[in-house]
Amino acid sequence: MAHVGNRVLVFRLGGIGFILDLRSVVEVQGAVSAQLDASRSDISQGIVAAMAFRGTWLPVVDPAAKLGLPAAVRMKDQVAVVLSSLEGNWAILVDAVDELSAKDSFVSCEIPFLLKASACSGYSQLKLRNAEPFVVFDPELFYGSPAMQA
Amino acid sequence: MSRFGLFSAGALSFAIPLLQIKKILQDSRPFALPCLPATVTGVLVDEDRLVPVLDVGLLHDNGTCSEKSYLYHVLVESEYGTLALPADLSVRIVSEQKGTITTALKEYPPWVVGIFYCQEMKHFILNIDFLAIEMTQGFWRSTSEADAARRHQ
Repeated sequence: MAHVGNRVLVFRLGGIGFILDLRSVVEVQGAVSAQLDASRSDISQGIVAAMAFRGTWLPVVDPAAKLGLPAAVRMKDQVAVVLSSLEGNWAILVDAVDELSAKDSFVSCEIPFLLKASACSGYSQLKLRNAEPFVVFDPELFYGSPAMQA
Repeated sequence: MSRFGLFSAGALSFAIPLLQIKKILQDSRPFALPCLPATVTGVLVDEDRLVPVLDVGLLHDNGTCSEKSYLYHVLVESEYGTLALPADLSVRIVSEQKGTITTALKEYPPWVVGIFYCQEMKHFILNIDFLAIEMTQGFWRSTSEADAARRHQ
């Protein structure tokens, strides 16, 4: 059986592939609109809604907004990925979850020198699989103390 | 004797010294990435390396962001790394003796280093290093062309 630490969750945002270390993932929830309360947002913190989850409310972050990506699907059709952090669980909204995949099916790929300055606020690593680039999703850039200071 | 690659992209005809051309890709698929400059339409994957694709639509007189898809991508070497320029079908490699080269006059934009006239067609000889910096580092058309020219002296 594959170890969780050797696997990644592959998801899409604005047509772009992202990978996320499976160790950060608590649960994936589809059709989340009924569980979202947009009145409990805090846009200054990047929080677009709160989500009912296991008897409590989680902050929900929309990474597409921070990354400047166009909305590819409506919020009611988005999928919530619940993540763990030192400050508790939180969730991100993504357009679709593709699959779980072995970490070693992706190879590292340098961000071109000419794009480093523009990329640095949203991601710092890229990987390739079958000649397609995937952004390595770094949760700390989107929620938690370092993200709030950014 | 130097040779040039002659290309067109929409209304723009351009020439690139053959020594700067790394390769020409056909039917290659550009991928979007987050946070790309507005002047970069995507990236190509070439031998496990990413290559930024410049929006050549912005080089037209009334340049606006281009939605058009192109059949070819010309991979060119700049001082700062490889770049891709989209191009239409009319790809030709010719020696400089097949045409006439003139230096760019002052009224031409600073990304034109010369004009290559060949078979009654005018091709701008592109300053690839200039385009690499101006179009990827947020300077494109944000300052006067004189300032831009000074940055590259």
